[in-house]
Amino acid sequence: MISCTEFIPAYSELFKYLEKEHGKNAVIDFWNYLSDEFLTNLKELVVENGIRGCWIYWNKTLNEEAADFTMELDEESGEFSITMHYCPSKGRLLKYNHIEPYHNYCEHCDVLYRRVLEPLGFEYSLDRSQTDQAKCRLSVKTINIKK
Amino acid sequence: MPKEIITRKASDNPYFHKDFHIALNYGINYLYDNFGEEAVREYLAQFAASYYSLLKKSLLENGLVTIKEHYEKTYKIEDAEFKINYSPDEMNIHLFASPAVMHIKGGGHPVSPVFHETVLTVNKEICRNTPFECEMMAYNDENGAYKLRFYRRGR
Repeated sequence: MISCTEFIPAYSELFKYLEKEHGKNAVIDFWNYLSDEFLTNLKELVVENGIRGCWIYWNKTLNEEAADFTMELDEESGEFSITMHYCPSKGRLLKYNHIEPYHNYCEHCDVLYRRVLEPLGFEYSLDRSQTDQAKCRLSVKTINIKK
Repeated sequence: MPKEIITRKASDNPYFHKDFHIALNYGINYLYDNFGEEAVREYLAQFAASYYSLLKKSLLENGLVTIKEHYEKTYKIEDAEFKINYSPDEMNIHLFASPAVMHIKGGGHPVSPVFHETVLTVNKEICRNTPFECEMMAYNDENGAYKLRFYRRGR
């Protein structure tokens, strides 16, 4: 049995396998599939709670993943953000000496969550400029919020 | 409602996100649906060859006790019920129910029809090019329970 604590290298190796055998489009297609099938809980939470759904969703997942982060929610201005000081997933991959991470590992976070949130009326952005240090910043903003 | 802020350090929580079992299941299912059963085995063999390369090295140097200790640790992390009968030349593992399969099903997600390959292919790859072999003696699709036999080749 593969433990859930061993999932991240399995995930990274899946991206590598798909790209090597079937090209980058297959990797993107898989991310779209995973977003549609797996992130139904994020979608349901946001539909039910608005931007607070992001807070509820990531408050659970990031704590379970033992992430080092700051999360902010301002419902009045319709803004949510995560400042990831040290991503547990990318951090793990960077620490392994015996495996090479997928070259664009962090792109999956951009594709998966954008696909859920933008159709629900949110602007989604992910700053990946420091992912080589396992750092990033995710922001979600409500479009056309009433002032 | 005023602005809400929380900050957490990695040391504040244990690393244990069970939903990763669900994500792995969808990865297996994607491969199976789009590229077939052989693609699932190819991917899992590639993953095992890469990620478990240190485990294989230890298996070569120290024998089956390496696998025993690895799964005792894995099952403890996952809070699984299991039984291991060990000798240096043969080891039988009985996992009474798979925490992965139970979590996937508990969340209402369909378990991939080839999810058992995450056990069989991975362990066969770990044993490849070592004096040991692995075979699956039983697998229960309902709860992911399995019986695995590791043995020294030629016995």
